[in-house]
Amino acid sequence: MIADLLLFIFSLAALPLAGRVSESARRWIAPIAVTGLGIAAWSAACFLAQSQIFPTPWESFGAIVELAQSSRLWNDITASLFRVTWGFGLATAVGIPLGLWIGWSARSFAALNPLVQGLRPISPIAWIPIAILWFGIGDLSAVFLIFLASIFPIMVGTTAAVQNIPQVYVRSAANFGLTGFDLFRRVVLPAAMPQIITSLRIALGVAWLVIVAAEMVGMQSGLGYLVSDARNMGKRYDLVVAAMILIGLIGIVLDVLVRQLQNFDEVRWGFAKR
Amino acid sequence: MSASSPGSTASKPKVVFEQVAKDFERRGEPLRVLDPIDLVVDEGEFVCLLGPSGCGKSTLLNIAGGFEPPTTGRVVIDGEAVNGPHPRRVFVFQEYGIFPWASVWDNIGLGLRELPKEQQYATIQQTIDLVGLTGFEKSYPMELSGGMKQRVGVARALAVSPDVIYMDEPFGALDSLTRLTMRAELIRIWQTRRPTILFVTHDVDESIQLADRVVVFSPRPGRIAGIVDVDLPHPRDLGTQRYGEIKNQLYELLGVRHAV
Ligand SMILES: Nc1ncnc2c1ncn2[C@@H]1O[C@H](COP(=O)(O)OP(=O)(O)OP(=O)(O)O)[C@@H](O)[C@H]1O
Ligand SMILES: [Mg+2]
Repeated sequence: MIADLLLFIFSLAALPLAGRVSESARRWIAPIAVTGLGIAAWSAACFLAQSQIFPTPWESFGAIVELAQSSRLWNDITASLFRVTWGFGLATAVGIPLGLWIGWSARSFAALNPLVQGLRPISPIAWIPIAILWFGIGDLSAVFLIFLASIFPIMVGTTAAVQNIPQVYVRSAANFGLTGFDLFRRVVLPAAMPQIITSLRIALGVAWLVIVAAEMVGMQSGLGYLVSDARNMGKRYDLVVAAMILIGLIGIVLDVLVRQLQNFDEVRWGFAKR
Repeated sequence: MSASSPGSTASKPKVVFEQVAKDFERRGEPLRVLDPIDLVVDEGEFVCLLGPSGCGKSTLLNIAGGFEPPTTGRVVIDGEAVNGPHPRRVFVFQEYGIFPWASVWDNIGLGLRELPKEQQYATIQQTIDLVGLTGFEKSYPMELSGGMKQRVGVARALAVSPDVIYMDEPFGALDSLTRLTMRAELIRIWQTRRPTILFVTHDVDESIQLADRVVVFSPRPGRIAGIVDVDLPHPRDLGTQRYGEIKNQLYELLGVRHAV
């Protein structure tokens, strides 16, 4: 309780401070203070409700420590990252070329876009029985579900990126005799690249988002599995929340990683403020 | 015509417009943008197309450049009808058509891909020096000023030593000082290499400073209201009496009273 009070006071005190310090310090202080307030509010709610099952923040952090001390945590994280890497990687490898083609060719757009738009709203969860039917219980099914979840943002984003290429670039390319593969490599792909990177960012977020659902196909490892497993084994809600926190934190790290793609010289123009 | 006018020595037709007309579709109705245009531009000539906004100047240039088919008529260059863009006839676009994802160097090298490496390097460097961008070879367009970007666009065209250059208000977005400098540079380059230039503008002074001949268009539907020879030697003095006369002539053709 004392910890909560201190946290609350420090967070509140930090907020006005954020207005006065340098730009770079503000980038850290404000979000940390807001998170601190959120944790204090969570703690206060637990105290008021007097729930026996729902964990306080401190119990949840304790559960993270407990997980970290057992060998299982590292195992679960790598298992989840492995599936997401494969699912997302395959979706990128298939989705970008498909999106480029559909975006470039008006005929393929007319033919394929309705199908894409029809498949897109189907939740990956709905695919679970089919995934198990096709790929059995195992990593392959989970990878398939993550693939399904992330290919549509990539494909649709890439298609739109190509369709939005300003006419003046295409005309310049035609004027200087660019055709075929050269045209794609030198104009179509780079012109679409900033928007493709944004769609990759969205897709990786979605891929990570569905990890819990994807591991419902009978996986025996992974952070998503940890969530359902912790609930089953004696209602360990502190472990459930611990896994949720970890999923959130790793999500932030993944997003920071893809965002690094925006720093390449060839795409910086697409993210500059004008 | 004065002997000092550079375009008047040779008169081999280069770009020939034959009854070129254009309709656009607007809400299901055809919209006449250009009435049939007949015009002959000679080799090495610098011609300005001058007219009010919306009269179809860009449309005519796009037809000549092969980006837009005419509704009727045709454009003939070197005895052949235009049916698409051509690497020897290069366009400098109104909105900079240079690629923001490529460095100045790579932008200017765009049309030189087929040349041997050494020749590419030499030509790119030479063109960069020519337009005064030395030291900015590795810069990206977003790191350049508007005038520098426009110079990259011009340099990209010049690098391939084109026969014909189409310029659609290339200096429109620049401040008046930069515009003056750019015009002087363009004339210098034109005098050394002698490409045929079709230059769209709605700036009367610009057309007098640059052109051998100014073709004046009427408001939409565009048709040729008149053609004025600019028989002044370069560099052109804006203060002479002849300059004033030409200016009056152009304003008259545009149907604008400019004296206050
Ligand atoms: N793709 C198009 N579809 C329909 N109408 C068009 C199209 N392009 C141009 N127009 C119309 O044709 C007319 C002439 O356009 P154009 O761009 O050639 O004018 P302009 O003389 O270059 O004008 P400005 O000096 O403003 O650039 C305009 O009225 C415009 O609305
Ligand atoms: Mg125009």
